[in-house]
Amino acid sequence: ICLRDRDCISATRLDIDGLPVLFPYDYVYPEQYAYMLELKRTLDAQGHCVLEMPSGTGKTVSLVSLIVAYMTVHPNKLEKLIYCSRTVQEINKVMEELKRLMEWLERANGHAPPLTGLALSARKNLCVHPEVSREEEGKKLDGQCYKLTASFVRERHQADPSTPVCLFYEEFDSLGRKAASPLPPGVYDLDDLKSYGKQKGWCPYFLARYMLQQANIVVYNYSYLLDPKVAELVSKEFSKKSVVVFDEAHNIDNVCVEAMSVNISRRTLEAAQTGIDTLGRRVREIGEEQLREEYRRLVENLKQARRNRETDVHMASPVLPDDVLQETMPGNIRRAEHFLSFLKRLTEYLKLRLSVQRVVAETPSYFLHHIQQTVCIERKPLRFCTERLQSLLHSLEFIELRDFSSLNLVANFATIVSTYTKGFSLIIEPFDERSSTNYNPVLHLSCNDSTIACKPIFTRFQSVVLTSGTLSPLDMYPKLLAFQPVTLQSFSITLAKPCVCPLVVSRGNDQVAITSRYESRADTAVTRNYGNLLADLSAIVPDGIACFFPSYEYMETTVSSWVEQGIMTRVQRNKLVFIETRDRGEISLALDNYFKACDTGRGAVLLGIARGKVSEGVDFVHQYGRAVIMFGIPYVYTQSRILKARLEYLRDQFQIRENDFLTFDAMRHAAQRYGRLDKRSKLPLWIQEHLKESLCSLTTEEAVQVCKKFLRDMAQPSTKEEQVGVSMLTEEQVETRERLRLSMDFS
Amino acid sequence: FLQFFCAMDEDEGKVYTWETEYERSWETLQEDAEGHLQTTAEEEAYKAKRRRLFDRPRNVQLGMMRHVFLVLDGSRAMADKDLRPDRLTCAARVIEKFLLEFFDHNPISQLGTIVTRNGRAEKLNELTGNPHVHTKALQSLTSSSGDPSLQNALEMAVRGLRHVPHHASKEVIVVLGSLTSCDPGNIFSTIDDLCQQSVRCSIIGLAAEVHLCKTICQRTNGTYNVILDETHFRDLLLQHCRPPPAKATIEASLIKMGFPQHVMNGPPAVCLCHLSDRSADYITSSGYFCPQCNSKYCELPVECKVCGTRVDMQSVLMTTPTHGCNTHTLTRTHKHKHTNANTGLTLVLAPHLARSHHHLFPLTSYEETQLTDMIVCSGCQVQVERKAYKCPSCDSMFCIDCDLFIHETLHVCPGCASTVKHHH
Repeated sequence: ICLRDRDCISATRLDIDGLPVLFPYDYVYPEQYAYMLELKRTLDAQGHCVLEMPSGTGKTVSLVSLIVAYMTVHPNKLEKLIYCSRTVQEINKVMEELKRLMEWLERANGHAPPLTGLALSARKNLCVHPEVSREEEGKKLDGQCYKLTASFVRERHQADPSTPVCLFYEEFDSLGRKAASPLPPGVYDLDDLKSYGKQKGWCPYFLARYMLQQANIVVYNYSYLLDPKVAELVSKEFSKKSVVVFDEAHNIDNVCVEAMSVNISRRTLEAAQTGIDTLGRRVREIGEEQLREEYRRLVENLKQARRNRETDVHMASPVLPDDVLQETMPGNIRRAEHFLSFLKRLTEYLKLRLSVQRVVAETPSYFLHHIQQTVCIERKPLRFCTERLQSLLHSLEFIELRDFSSLNLVANFATIVSTYTKGFSLIIEPFDERSSTNYNPVLHLSCNDSTIACKPIFTRFQSVVLTSGTLSPLDMYPKLLAFQPVTLQSFSITLAKPCVCPLVVSRGNDQVAITSRYESRADTAVTRNYGNLLADLSAIVPDGIACFFPSYEYMETTVSSWVEQGIMTRVQRNKLVFIETRDRGEISLALDNYFKACDTGRGAVLLGIARGKVSEGVDFVHQYGRAVIMFGIPYVYTQSRILKARLEYLRDQFQIRENDFLTFDAMRHAAQRYGRLDKRSKLPLWIQEHLKESLCSLTTEEAVQVCKKFLRDMAQPSTKEEQVGVSMLTEEQVETRERLRLSMDFS
Repeated sequence: FLQFFCAMDEDEGKVYTWETEYERSWETLQEDAEGHLQTTAEEEAYKAKRRRLFDRPRNVQLGMMRHVFLVLDGSRAMADKDLRPDRLTCAARVIEKFLLEFFDHNPISQLGTIVTRNGRAEKLNELTGNPHVHTKALQSLTSSSGDPSLQNALEMAVRGLRHVPHHASKEVIVVLGSLTSCDPGNIFSTIDDLCQQSVRCSIIGLAAEVHLCKTICQRTNGTYNVILDETHFRDLLLQHCRPPPAKATIEASLIKMGFPQHVMNGPPAVCLCHLSDRSADYITSSGYFCPQCNSKYCELPVECKVCGTRVDMQSVLMTTPTHGCNTHTLTRTHKHKHTNANTGLTLVLAPHLARSHHHLFPLTSYEETQLTDMIVCSGCQVQVERKAYKCPSCDSMFCIDCDLFIHETLHVCPGCASTVKHHH
């Protein structure tokens, strides 16, 4: 996709349905204008909305400038913007647009708007401690920070000054918290926060977390809002008069589901066992006194103690309904040694359950019944498992929390399984899902209901905006997340010349139909034709090509047969080839080199998985993705039992048919470049629009010719004169359009 | 005459229908505002023409002494048959045409050729002012193989341009068919080098837009274009005939030039241009003699290789030639040729300079006017279709094609030339 380039020398003043909006660019695109209109309506109605607009059309700037204008004009109606993004790069992009907007607002009004905007990210991106910040792995860095800032470490420091603490945190704690406004109004991205922190000698991470409550605009990761435990620490006290924006929200239901699901394998249980043993040893060492102190605290009030220790790292654990927190800890797990033996029993029981030879699927209620029958564990102590473990770890003053991650997982499992009886299913699979000979039993506690994690958000905040380039079919999201939208709207991109050229290739040059259908996958004619398509395209498409396969297995077999057939050599003559693997390190290395090859003009092909790490979260902009090839529709692996359980639940609870969901799911993963005659209506509008009848079911040769022509056309420069009025609007043009629209409405 | 010229233009773009690419011709048809059918390709071509008209820089200092390296891709991609008979032959054909036109427009400029294939760059010709040398070399190019290497080619060009005097404009024009570049090292350091040497690099792509090429052109102030078909290719390449705007940093300065006379029957001697050939064919009695050092050349324009080594403080702009050949000077100075070659005396003929004249005093641009009623073009006598272009001094109306032709080739307004001016 080649988008309109724009150099900017002024800002545009718009009138959106009576609201004066300053748009920080020379021109506004027609779709941006329409987008802002819909958004304004949603904010007026104080409801939720789903807005689809292709990536690259400036969603972010439209969102930000409208909401900031709304906050300025109606400070009583709207107090806060919470912008949720997926990656650090996206966060930075939002901050950039925000800064730009503020700059123009300052120029237009003569003074900067009294708003504070800030970004929050993990410690890894914000730490300024000279030694700790050198650590590259996020979790290790969190651990090191914990070692210096945990409350018991700081207490110890007061008694014995040789215990190391983080000076930045100490400084912030003693001065920053007391200051009337620790952060003057303005927009701070991660780097600004870091330099401000360095200058003041304050820890930027805790400063940002402290400032979250007061800031008008908060930009952070999904998990700060969706992951229940993190949300409780960070976002709990946000005002109700907030608007929450989920950018790139097409995968939000899966994020919700994953935040609540737990998988336990035999290895997890063994590690948990080691964890219990370590705890047991420490309990015996530490003696009676300290534990009695803990016992007292537990009885007293657990919540209060925790509030004082925001610095302590809590590993992700599921949400606890309020009533659980109000209740007191059951007596039989209050004492440390009792709790440890309780955990031991639980792990043994899970081990027993894992030693099965066939698949077991049951409901949480049945599981609870069975566990009580077998090892006499009741529901109530199970519910408190996570809380109790946190507290114990804290009192025993363990610094290396990473050693207990498996144990934590088990505790999480216990809490979730005993808290929710609906929307979850328990599946024990003795063999690997796809290779039936590998004995590796796994216990899945899978969440089928994406509403559990996001329900609090929809009820707490007055407006929630879901937006992305691909949300079609739009009505699926309200069903999946159970909310009532005010607006459901899809916007298309208006361009002076077409910049997207979707093609559907259904036959090879030998007229053999090419399909990724399961039965004909292994057919050499099909793989050969796929290979020929790639080889031919690699010769005519410049820079980077991203290819997506429906699954790893399919990619592996296809690529190996390409190597045998000599197709790989043909591709490699034109471009370098990179393949996505399951290893994270390898992926990031491959991606780095892929980007490099695209930059230096060598050209590269990236073979990835449609639902893999690469297709989600990596932007293939400009030279990094001149073409995207989808080898078949990336349907999810339908034989998976977890999926089946979820489908069943969706059918029963939300009246969503299995096939509808599968197609919907496949389409959103199709990297938005796929369509077939019968499924065309399921694609986003901006692709549908360009997918002409003549571009469907082409042969490879035809596709190559169409591509060649398209690429040449795309390379022709376009003058501004041609675009203004069609795809870019000036202030006057917006006004005349508006008048036209009103008169049409009227007539 | 104009009609004849336009007709010739059309003929060249034509190929047999079965040779054209797979296309759905009915899809390129679009209705315009009045309901007339028109093809989108035509629309694109029209836009390109308008761009050519309006992109013309006005009132800028032009770098008329140009030293250009033309890099031709000789890689596997040039065997593609989307241009007839294949890209390489077609490119060679277009370049030949370009060379003639180039030296016609830029008589005091020099051009060298480089071909890149198999990951390497080979120099076909050093910088010279003679188009025929290049034509011969281009005709010898028949096979294409391997990958091109932009880095090697650019580095070779930079090496060749390093000793060019700083008042001349240094350029590289690349005709690239391939979409990849097989480089030995970091090409970005080569781009830095280009910028530092203020070498302008322009690229014409034969297939699609490559990000790297765009970067190179942007950073070195060159232009990057991708061709649509052969006619467009030729148009794009011919645009490089126009001298580029000079670097802003250059101050206007006097340049010393020599105007040698052609001597028909002097003493038989080898000319300096073919000294290294050691062939008896080049011992002739006629030639041009440098007015300063008397060394002999068989063709002009050229930079005197001998004077390049002698720094003469005479502030003479033109000197009259003296006859006779000083062989002593020749042998003595020849040894030092490589040490100090940047102050050579440019030898030209007066007609050469006169031909560059139109760059200095370009024909004023015509004004674009909306059609109100039917107008017949004063050039080709055909009814004007979209917009007419009016000469501000004689008020004649022209169509876009004639406008382009007048401004790019004729450099004289036919309307003004045919009206009798009344002088008192």
